[in-house]
Amino acid sequence: MGLLTNLKDSISRVTDGLFAADEPKRIGIYGPPNAGKTTLANRIARDWTGDAVGPESHIPHETRRARRKENVEIERNGRTVTIDIVDTPGVTTKVDYKEFLDHDMEKDDAVRRSREATEGVAEAMHWLREDVDGVIYVLDSTNDPFTQVNTMLIGIIESQDLPALILANKTDLPGADVQQIANAFPQHETIPLSALEGDNMDEVYTKIAEYFG
Amino acid sequence: MPHQCTTCGRTFQDGSKEMLSGCPDCGGNKFQFKPTGATTNEQSAPNEQSAPNEQSASNEKSSPSETERSTSAPTDPTDVDATAASDSEATVDGEPPNPRESSKNTQSTDTTGSDLEKGSSDSTTGTEHVRERSEEDVAQASARSDVVSPDELDRASQPIDSESGAESRGSGDPDGPRPDIGELRDELNEQFESIRIVSPGKYELNLMELYDRQEYIISLQEDGRYVIEMPDAWGIQDE
Repeated sequence: MGLLTNLKDSISRVTDGLFAADEPKRIGIYGPPNAGKTTLANRIARDWTGDAVGPESHIPHETRRARRKENVEIERNGRTVTIDIVDTPGVTTKVDYKEFLDHDMEKDDAVRRSREATEGVAEAMHWLREDVDGVIYVLDSTNDPFTQVNTMLIGIIESQDLPALILANKTDLPGADVQQIANAFPQHETIPLSALEGDNMDEVYTKIAEYFG
Repeated sequence: MPHQCTTCGRTFQDGSKEMLSGCPDCGGNKFQFKPTGATTNEQSAPNEQSAPNEQSASNEKSSPSETERSTSAPTDPTDVDATAASDSEATVDGEPPNPRESSKNTQSTDTTGSDLEKGSSDSTTGTEHVRERSEEDVAQASARSDVVSPDELDRASQPIDSESGAESRGSGDPDGPRPDIGELRDELNEQFESIRIVSPGKYELNLMELYDRQEYIISLQEDGRYVIEMPDAWGIQDE
């Protein structure tokens, strides 16, 4: 019985290895709401495929379902890295419809958005457990990175041994503090960027190829 | 017949383990203790007096408590679960002793409350309870030896006065066991809920719980129900 199990394990390991070589790595774009995940996903997809991933918005929880863009081929230093990008809903521990009322939303719509956002968080956490091979963690560099959500998610990512790239987004905004993010997660490399303006995307692509290639 | 099911009236011998997993007849999980002296032997006058007194008190109380249960039962299955769990596996996860104790306490506060209404003094009912407990201690200890720790027995054998006083000061008195159920629900929520619906449109999420659970919540309903998908779990079971 033990022999069979061992045999089965080793066969599945070999087949996993074969598929891993062929299939593009699935990279989840994670982070708190409104950090610019979809803006980054769209920037990457537009730069390399010409398509977009999903609508961007300044209202939090615009992305309430994980969206995937497959076979994004990124060329760096003469070689091509193919990845699937999964743009995930912003992860948070509290969702309140009242925060949407400030954005000229009717109560019914706000409540529905809130429910969908909650489903989205559940989906994002599920993807993190099951379906991603690496993580791009996007943070708004104008906000304090020392939050429960960030600490917990980075902890989970580390416990999974997933390769992770931390991006300090929104460097185009006046209050951006990249160093604060670097200090918060010194065990990871932090790359500054403005996904909206396209600033420093070259370095981002180089790092993506390096981490996930 | 030391123990009687409060729902169907079936009685059990002291030390019977049959009742530990609920009444076999009706599934009820609330029992009242009836000392042998009250029913068979006439041991002492005060005991004899107080036993029917208590019996009538509990009978009096049984209809309201039943209505309470009937109103709480459909809205809150955790009540039943928790007390059932406390009967069967109280030592396992540490929480059930509380509901068990609280249900016991509320029962005792019920009787003392109705005794008070009837004009009898609180202290007499208190001493009566203490005497009952001391009589039952040996048998009860053996019956419960595998479910309740000695600490809890000691606590349970404390005079009722202070206990019922504390209980009535706290959540027990105003409207019966309801606040206990609320507290229990909060505790359970904190421990097990991955998504807590605070109010419509307001949610609190337990990220670790969401991450840890194998099944995937794909849709939340307005009424608090949710739809899950668990293909991985099926796969694992098949293997």
